[in-house]
Amino acid sequence: MHPAGSAAGTPRQPSKRRIPVSHLGMADPHQLFDDTSSAQSQGYGAQRGPSGLGYPTASASPQAAFLADPVSNMAMAYGSSLAAQGKELVDKNVSGLGWWEWGESWGHEARASGRALPPQIDRFIPVTKLKYYFAVDTLYVGKKLGLLFFPYLHQDWEVQYQQDTPVAPRFDVNAPDLYIPAMAFITYVLVAGLALGTQDRFSPDLLGLQASSALAWLTLEVLAILLSLYLVTVNTDLTTIDLVAFLGYKYVGMIGGILMGLLFGKIGYYLVLGWCCMSIFVFMIRTLRLKILAEAAAEGVPVRGARNQLRMYLTMAVAAAQPLLMYWLTFHLVR
Amino acid sequence: MIMEEVEDPITKMIQPQQPYTGQIFQPTQTFTPTTPQPFYGNSFEDEPPLLEELGINFDHIWQKTLTVLHPLKVADGSIMNETDLAGPMVFCLAFGATLLLAGKIQFGYVYGISAIGCLGMFCLLNLMSMTGVSFGCVASVLGYCLLPMILLSSFAVIFSLQGMVGIILTAGIIGWCSFSASKIFISALAMEGQQLLVAYPCALLYGVFALISVF
Repeated sequence: MHPAGSAAGTPRQPSKRRIPVSHLGMADPHQLFDDTSSAQSQGYGAQRGPSGLGYPTASASPQAAFLADPVSNMAMAYGSSLAAQGKELVDKNVSGLGWWEWGESWGHEARASGRALPPQIDRFIPVTKLKYYFAVDTLYVGKKLGLLFFPYLHQDWEVQYQQDTPVAPRFDVNAPDLYIPAMAFITYVLVAGLALGTQDRFSPDLLGLQASSALAWLTLEVLAILLSLYLVTVNTDLTTIDLVAFLGYKYVGMIGGILMGLLFGKIGYYLVLGWCCMSIFVFMIRTLRLKILAEAAAEGVPVRGARNQLRMYLTMAVAAAQPLLMYWLTFHLVR
Repeated sequence: MIMEEVEDPITKMIQPQQPYTGQIFQPTQTFTPTTPQPFYGNSFEDEPPLLEELGINFDHIWQKTLTVLHPLKVADGSIMNETDLAGPMVFCLAFGATLLLAGKIQFGYVYGISAIGCLGMFCLLNLMSMTGVSFGCVASVLGYCLLPMILLSSFAVIFSLQGMVGIILTAGIIGWCSFSASKIFISALAMEGQQLLVAYPCALLYGVFALISVF
């Protein structure tokens, strides 16, 4: 705040604390309300004139009369403090950016995604990250499903990179995606309902029960693997969403098993489930090997070392858990 | 520009657009009542017609219905610009009515499944497409493509669908519904090479409707 004495009786001049007119002549932002006693209001009005904001340069008297009234004075102080608090609140909640950066980032994202999603949603659900996993096309899905059922002939399991970011699933069949796991999960729930229906054990709440138990197992699996990765202190670029994607691929095999069980009975179920279990085991080992094991071991050179052995065991454990879960979640559906 | 406007509310308050000239506690008589207009006079004729005001455009509804009924015709992407929920409402009620004719009072299931299905499709399409899509648009498209399912449930009134013929007919109608829904979504959202990917979740949704009709 300007000490009143320094400005009293002198014509208004831009002081050191003031931003000069060329910077649009704004007031000190931390000052709650302006010191408009006596002749200062006039000078202030004149200073605002050339700022080009479009405000009419009001004369001094209405301002002075307005501010002389104590009620409106207090009201203005209160209102302005409220406005400042509100602005702080918005700034805090909007990912810690200032106004301008917030607007800019939102604009960029809106341009990129074509849809204006406020960044507040981005805090809870990382929508832009999820979009990467859904950038698929029919050809990719076909090839990936083929890989899931027959991974034995595929040679190159590396994900291609483009300037430090992995390429979208559309362009590389090795990249994980979330479309197949999500659709497979929903299909699994519906097929389970169908299987129960053909055995006259169906009721709509059983669908919800199946869905929530499968989801609970998935969550448990993800947490267990994350915990073991943490304990083994592995430095991987395996994100949680990647892990969910990999663990969701087993639902495809489960659906195949249940459908064959519906059509051909227990023999068909065991045959197809056995085949799918083997395939998903090989698929997981070959995919996770590249992500969890160290560089040398991933290229097939056997490296002896306690750390790498531990990682190898971890990969084998994760891959072995898949067939077990596949059997556990489907055997009660096929009679 | 934005920053200085926000950071300077005081100036904005000190210099309002219109300087305050009255007194704080005395209301000023600034309202001058205009000459009273007759209720039924010029204003009545100037009003738009009721249907236009409600947004129900029969021509567009008919066009969209024809697009659904001709699955092989190329869809025009711009027809889905206005989200119109009147047609889908009518189709849902007709579906429930035909189920009622077959002795199944399952309006609740129809409502619940369509709500969950629309929500799921909305999330999926927003994640898969470059441009986003609004919920009303998704609900509108899915509602319109429910029309062939009404044919199926009216068949179920007369014949039982649990034989081989019934299964083939059900599969065909599910395919028809999901194909036309995905066709409209693809053309409206300009998604390339993803028609089957969009058709599959639609097929799941209409499959559940078919389950209600059949069993």
